[in-house]
This record gives sequence, C-alpha cells and structure tokens, in this order.
Amino acid sequence: MPKLREILGHPFWQAVALLVAAYLLFKWGIAVLPPLVGFPSAPVPQSVVLQYMLTALVGILIYVSYNEARWRRFKEPINATLVDANKRWLRATLLVLVPALVGFVAYDQSRPKVSAPLQLRSIHPAPPGQITVRGRTIRLAGLENPLRSRGTIEEHSREGRRVYYQNCLPCHGDLLDGKGHFAHGFSPTPLAFDDAGTIAQLTESFVFWRIAKGGPGLPREGAPWNSAMPAWEDFLTEDEIWSVIIFLYEQSGWEPRRWEVEERAEGAGHE
Amino acid sequence: MSRVVGWKEGTMETGLIALVMVLAIIPSFHLSAQDIERGKAVYEKWCTGCHGDTGAGDGDAAAYMLPRPRDFRRAVYQIRTTASGELPTDDDIRHVVDQGMPGTAMTGWKSRLTSGDRDAVIAYIKSFSRFFDGAPPQSVDFPSAPRISDDGIAEGARIYGELECFKCHGDRGRGDGTSAPTMSDDWDFPIRPTDLTRPWTFNGGAEVEDIYRAIRTGLDGTPMPSFSDVIDAEIITDEQLWRVAQYVHSLAPGRPRVREVIRAGRTARVPDDPTDSAWVEAEAFYVPLVGQIIVSPRWFTPAVDGIWVRALHDGERLALHIAWSDPSASPDPLWQEWIELLATTVTDADGALEPVQGPDRFTIQFPARLSDGMARPYFLGGDRRRPAYTWRWRSSPDQLEVGTSTGLGQFVAGAGAASDVAHQAVFADGQWQLQVTRTLIPRDTSAAPTFAEGVAIPIAFRAADGSSGETHVRGSVSAWYAIYLDAPISATVFVMPVVATLVTAGFGLLVVWRAQRREGTRRFLPEATCDIFSSSRCSDSWHAAAAKLAHRPATRMLVPLSSRSAAPRSPA
Amino acid sequence: MTFDGTPPANPAIDMTEEPECVAKYADGPVDPVVVVNDGMLANVFIRVTAGLPAGPYPIPSQPATIDQNGCLYTPRVLGVMVGQPFEITNSDPLLHNIKAVPSESRGFNISQPRAMTTTRTFKTPEVMVPLECNVHGWMNAYVGVTDHPYFATSAEDGSFAITGLPAGTYTIEAWHETLGKRMMEAEVVEGGTVSVTFVYGSTT
Repeated sequence: MPKLREILGHPFWQAVALLVAAYLLFKWGIAVLPPLVGFPSAPVPQSVVLQYMLTALVGILIYVSYNEARWRRFKEPINATLVDANKRWLRATLLVLVPALVGFVAYDQSRPKVSAPLQLRSIHPAPPGQITVRGRTIRLAGLENPLRSRGTIEEHSREGRRVYYQNCLPCHGDLLDGKGHFAHGFSPTPLAFDDAGTIAQLTESFVFWRIAKGGPGLPREGAPWNSAMPAWEDFLTEDEIWSVIIFLYEQSGWEPRRWEVEERAEGAGHE
Repeated sequence: MSRVVGWKEGTMETGLIALVMVLAIIPSFHLSAQDIERGKAVYEKWCTGCHGDTGAGDGDAAAYMLPRPRDFRRAVYQIRTTASGELPTDDDIRHVVDQGMPGTAMTGWKSRLTSGDRDAVIAYIKSFSRFFDGAPPQSVDFPSAPRISDDGIAEGARIYGELECFKCHGDRGRGDGTSAPTMSDDWDFPIRPTDLTRPWTFNGGAEVEDIYRAIRTGLDGTPMPSFSDVIDAEIITDEQLWRVAQYVHSLAPGRPRVREVIRAGRTARVPDDPTDSAWVEAEAFYVPLVGQIIVSPRWFTPAVDGIWVRALHDGERLALHIAWSDPSASPDPLWQEWIELLATTVTDADGALEPVQGPDRFTIQFPARLSDGMARPYFLGGDRRRPAYTWRWRSSPDQLEVGTSTGLGQFVAGAGAASDVAHQAVFADGQWQLQVTRTLIPRDTSAAPTFAEGVAIPIAFRAADGSSGETHVRGSVSAWYAIYLDAPISATVFVMPVVATLVTAGFGLLVVWRAQRREGTRRFLPEATCDIFSSSRCSDSWHAAAAKLAHRPATRMLVPLSSRSAAPRSPA
Repeated sequence: MTFDGTPPANPAIDMTEEPECVAKYADGPVDPVVVVNDGMLANVFIRVTAGLPAGPYPIPSQPATIDQNGCLYTPRVLGVMVGQPFEITNSDPLLHNIKAVPSESRGFNISQPRAMTTTRTFKTPEVMVPLECNVHGWMNAYVGVTDHPYFATSAEDGSFAITGLPAGTYTIEAWHETLGKRMMEAEVVEGGTVSVTFVYGSTT
C-alpha cells in the first residue's frame, strides 16, 4: 500500500483527515464515547462545535505551515487543482459546486424560519433561605429529613411509595425516568430521578423545597409559567413529602447529598 | 401457506434452544423456589404500586387509572396468542412486560429489568393464579398475512361492515358505536371501545400482526371477542380477517410527531366552516393532551388525550381548526349509564365525581400580552400577574366566550369585542370539528393581542368531555405550543442566494486565474497562459495578454484605481 | 315453584338500535328478569347440593343449548354438566358476542356476526356462570355448571323435574337471579316421586 502511505504522509491529506476526525469527535464522539466507560455525557451544541472546529483549523494551519518544506508540500495539491491540465474537470466541478453550495447556504439563512420562541430551563435553581409550608416557616440551609431520625426507613419508604404512586407516577413514571404516561404532554418534560444529575446531586432539603413549592415556586429564571410541577403543599403534608423523598432515594439507589459533605466541599474550596 | 407462531421478535429457534438447554440442566421443568423469591423481590419493588401486594390489581395507584391495572388472580389477559379464554403463554406475558401497553399506564420494563428478573417476575405473577398449575397453553397458529393492496384494504372495509365491527368501534372507527356507552370489563369497570384512528393507543401494539391477533383471539377481560369461531364456521376466511386488520391499520398513520410550532399557512381566503375541503389540504399538527393533575380537583383519567390542529390565515383573519375524537356530543342521555359507572370507578383523592353530564368543552389560550418577552402566563390558564387571552367553547348550548383568564376556571368574559371571534362546531362520527376565526388585528388592541405574521405566538389548549363528567378544571390540558403565521416571502430570499453564488463563482475564477498566471509567469511562460479550465488549451488571446502583462506587470500594479481608465493613453 | 304477591315489573328495553329484534316483539321488548305466570315462577335453577353418592356421573353427549333470538337469550337460565357440550346459537341476522365470565373456570368471548352455532364446554362446576353480550348491554343469561346430572330449570309454568335420583335424603337448592336462593330437604324412595315446592314472594 505505498499509495496509501504516500497519502497519509502528505501534509494536505493529514490536515483533511485531522479536520474530519475533529468534526466527528466534537459532533458525536463527545456524546457517545464517555458513556461507554461509564461517564455521563451530552451532545455538543452546533455553535460550540463550530467554535471547536475553528480552533482545530487554526491548530492544523500552524502545524502545516510550521516549516517551509511542509508548507510547500501542503500547498502543492491546492495549487495543482488550480493549475494542472489533468485536473481541469475537478477544477470545473469545484467552481460550480462551491458557488452552488454558498448559494444554498445563503438561501437557507435568509428564508423565513419557523422556530419556537426561546425557552430556558434552569436545572437546579438557587433555593431561597427559608420557605413557608402550610403556614410553618422552614429554614432550608442545614435542614435534614426529620423522618431519618425516627421510625424505620422501610416504613417511611412504604408510605412514600403510596404517595409517589398516587401523585407522582403519571409524570415521573414507574422507572423514575420522567417518562410516566402523562409526561409527553408537558414541557419541560418531568425530571428523571434515575439520572445522575438530578436528586443524586441534591440535598433532601432542596428536594423538599422543589416538591413543596413546585413550578409556581420557581424563581423567574426557572420559567415557572411552563412547569407542570404542582405546589405539593396544597395536597401533601410535610411528613408525606419527606416520606416520598425517602422513597425516591430508596427506589433509585442514589444517596442524597449531605450538608456536612457540602460544607466540607465548600471549605476545601472546590465544587 | 407458511405459518407464523407467537411473537415476531422472539424467534422460534432461540426459544427451542433455550428450552432444550433448560431441560438439560434441571430435571424438573418447574421454576425453582429461588426463582419465585427473586420474582417476588422484583415484583415488590416495581409492581406493587399498581398491581398490589396480592396481585389483585389494587395497588396504591389503581383507583387513579383507567383502564385499571391487571388483577393477576383471575389470570385473564388481553394480549395473547392463545384462544379466547385460554391462559397466555409465557412469551405473551413477556411481550407485555417488555413493551408495556400503549394507551395505558403500563410501561415497558425491558430497559430497567434484566432478562432474568423479567423471567422471574413473570413466574411470580403466574403464581397469583391457580389456573397456571395445569398444562402450558398453546398458541393459535396464525397463517401468514396476504400482501397489502388497495383492493385488499377495500375488502377489509367491506368485512369490517359485514362483521358489524362498527357496532362498537363506529362507522369511521372512532370508538363511537351504538354499544359504546354501555361497556364494562370483567371487573365491572367502564371501558371504551378502542378508537381505531389512534393506533398509538392500541394496548397490544399497532402493527398489522398486533391488530390481527387482537381480532383473532380477542382481548380477554374486555368486550372484544375472538373471531376464530367465525372462521371455523366459514363465515369469513382467515385471509379476510387479515384484510380487516390491514384496513384498521390503514385508518391512521403511526404515532404522530409532536411539533412545537403550528404553522398557519397563507391562503387567499380562510374557510368559513370546519367541514370546508380547504381544511383537508391544510397541514395537521398533533398536540397531545393529558389529565389536569396540577391543581385541585385533579383528573387522572382524561377522555381526550390528543387533538389535531390546523391553521390558515389570509393576511386579514386567522382561522384555527381543531379536531378531536369524542364518542358523544354531551350531554347525551345514552351516556348516563357510562358516567354513573365512571363515578363509582374513579375515586380520586380530590373529591368524588358527580354523575352529572355537562357540555363538551374546548379552550384555546394565548398570552394576553405578547410583549412580555420570554415570560408567559402560567400554562394552566394564566395567573393574576400574567393573564391569558382565552376562547372558551361549549357544546350545549353551542357558544364561544372570549375573555381573560387568571387560572383554571378563573375566567372573565370581555377582552375586546367578542364579535371579533367567530366559531362553528360540527359533531359527526365520533369527532368534534371546531373552527374559530379572528381578525389578525383585534378591534380593541389594548384588550386582545394582535396576531402578527412571521413570529411564534404562544398557544395552549384544553378539552373536556361532558359525558365523562369533565369540567374546566377536571379535563385535559396541553403545555404551551406556538402558532406561526406564514409571512409573504420577501424578495431578498431569492436575490441573496443568486448574489452569493455569483460572487463566489467570480472569486473562484479570480483565484484560479491568478494562480495560473503566477504559475505561467514563473515556470512555463511561453505556453502557459491558458483558460481556467485547461492549462493545455491555451488560447492566443490569453497567451498574448499574459505576455503583455509579463512585460509590464509593475506599471499595471501601480496604476491607481481611479486613473485606470486613463492608463491606456499613457505612453505605449 | 310459586311466587306469592305481585311480581315486580320487568323493565322495558330500548332496542331501537336493532330494528330486526324490535320487530319480534308485538308489545315492545321487555327484560324478563322475573317471569311469573299465574303465581308460578320461571327461570329458577334447581339442583341437588348434598346427599348424592360419590361420582363421577356419565356426561351426556346431548348438548345443552342456548339461542340468541330477538336480542334476548332463550333460555335465560339453564344447567349444563361439566364436560357436556354447550351449544350457542345465533338466530338473529346481526352481530352478537357471547361472553361467559366464570370465576371458577376459564371463560370465553366469541363473536357471532350472523346465524351460526358455536360449541364450548365448562371444566369446573360453578353456579351460576353469567353470560353477557357486550354489543347489547341488556342481554344476560345464567348457566349453572354442575358435576352431576341432578338439576333442572323451572319452566314458564313454574314446574321442574329432577329424575333418576337414587333413594336417599337430599338437599335441594333453588337459585333465582334477583330473588336469591332457597334451600329444602327431600327424601326420595326407590321408584317414588316427591313433590317439592319452593316459595318466593314479593314480601320475602
């Protein structure tokens, strides 16, 4: 395979290969690869992909132009395409295709687009210092689940299961994946508790606040007008809310974040 | 004729191999006590919430569901490859456990439970009924399907009529047959005939094979009978039964894609009534609706779970066309029995359902102010800070109110002249079609929003079936969607691409020309001034031009742009 | 089988959706829940519940039959032995489904879109197995499934006969769909006939 080796050794083709590889990595690799080894990931937005690509392009250009010989070799195929007699068809094709492509992009950019109005969703909005639930004022900072210091976890979890199945199931689902039989009707879609990024990252007091106050209790940046999460203080007692929190952690297998962990983390100056 | 047995995805071969392996390993074919223990653990963690500790279908959530969760003690199963009244095979149960039951609260468990866990839980579920102690049930042999054709579908439609499927499912398949109001299942819970135009809610799946299986073996526990005996009695052939399945399959597309933006196409003149043929041409947008389970009294068993929205505008008026399945124009005395049964079945936490029929209702809302940026009214009818501009229609008396709402049921008529808004509603074949029309610019622009072209305007919907006791609060709701009125396309859309193409092409030619000139100047000057496509076919004129340029490149480069016209006259 | 007092009025059926069936009733269709003729009660299922010698008993090959005619079941109440063929006929030119909802054995739900006959059997004794048609919500029938041949249904004139019982003392039970159960003892002598009268009434 001398031909292939020749191509791989050529700076122009190296640059092309690097660009393609970078694009694949940014576009799909980042989303697909980490989960294979057990890390969560998400797709990269198109605008960020473009930024990354620009950076990659600059890097590649620096590489190919770093020494004079390589730069000359890099330019050879480009120059050949522009000049050589035996490349005239390629040249003609490019001269037709590239303008056509630019024309299409221009059309695509200028034609009227139908897109939904922009919506934001803050995943973990900052909680208030204290809340008033059913007439009682509760300070959230440092608040622990009071049920953990009385009765048994089994008993609270059982009660929490009842509360969950009678109230939360239609949206958050049997699998705690936020895909209950009503979930598709709401936007934003209900939270998935099996996800590593929801209750696994939160203290029980935060979860208590979100359940008790629901969508209407969200700060403005949380788009409270869209959330279908009810203010559960209208339906559930404090103990019922605390018991369903225990059920959520028992059923999902996550551990709530503890205040002392939080404080230590803050004290150590990271997170 | 080849035969298809059992489930398509579970191949016979693997099943047989597994069976042989199991037989080779354990002497007894019965499941071990260990498996039952494992199944019990899985069941108690994941299934009791709906199906109950004893498998009686009476879990904590049962009273909030319709259809109710399965009562395993009777071993009556809807989705089977076995004859009517027979037990399901393990594969039949496995199919439902894996895939769930569309149109119900039963989710699929394939992603959550391991294959071993699912086998174990199936064994445990079977242990709730003594009926499974006997010989294992046998699947019915289904002959393979004839090829789908237009003639075949027409034949299916004919057989659909001949078998009187319409008695329950209605003439157009919307579940509005004459016997629909009287139906209950084996547990005396109310049940609706399947709306055949909504295949994504078919409990056993929406493929032709799924439909055929449901007709062939029936859905035990429900009023849906098995049609096997009809084939045995030679009233119809098996092929004709397949034709019915293919016909039903042809009634509607698969699960519709939900799009956030509803486009109102531009038309010369908006239609006047909802049956106008222009609406058939207009693009239809599916909007799912779900029970209002956010404010009291909540409603967990909504009658309307989706609507089709079409929209057109003519630059003057916007017309919305909403269509949804509803087996009755409420109130309807024939449906009194239904609501009474419903009232004893659905015992919600937030108060009993009064067995009193109201009118059918439909509500459309927009933000009262469109200038609030990203902020919108609360999606459930707005709130005090941000009210919703609302159109409320009711079927009896047929009336549309225009007003402002500050929450569910918090409605004040007004919001400009109601005469701005015209409506017409038609009920036929188990379907409401409602058209609402308004001028883009309201008479009173301070009281009602102006519908501008070319922007996405938030819109939300709510529906209620009076025969199911639904009201403004107990009904079904949608999230915010958006409606976009197509604007006339401006000339720039067409000019821009042409300009961009020409500029790029010109630039490309320039680059090539310069490259060739440079190359020619440096290396092969005598013969190298060539046309841009072929450096071998050098034209004389280019040759000459290149030669000339080669002799005086510097002067040319130095001539200022403004005096270029004068250049030829300078010494030559 | 007697009925004292005034029998309750049977409800009329709105059968307008099936003109072919309505045509079969000169005075309009009525749901025959309580059928009393001259003080005699029909459609009571009577069977021996105790005192019988141990089985098994021969299973008749003659089928028990039920007909759907005029959008009602005929008979409305009948008995069938476990394993005995149970023949279901549709004499109406329209769709019925016949659904048996037993709790002791497996049920069935069969479509009969026009005149046809279907045969089924029951595997476990059960008194009574309800039959229903979901196309016509008013159609109800009851099948008494027994593991012996000593049962009967009271006729239009209230009479019934259980024959071939060996000599002995028996407990006999009567069942009516709305009026409930009655129990009696009877002593049968070899070759003799014993008369038993169950009394139902509007006052009981």
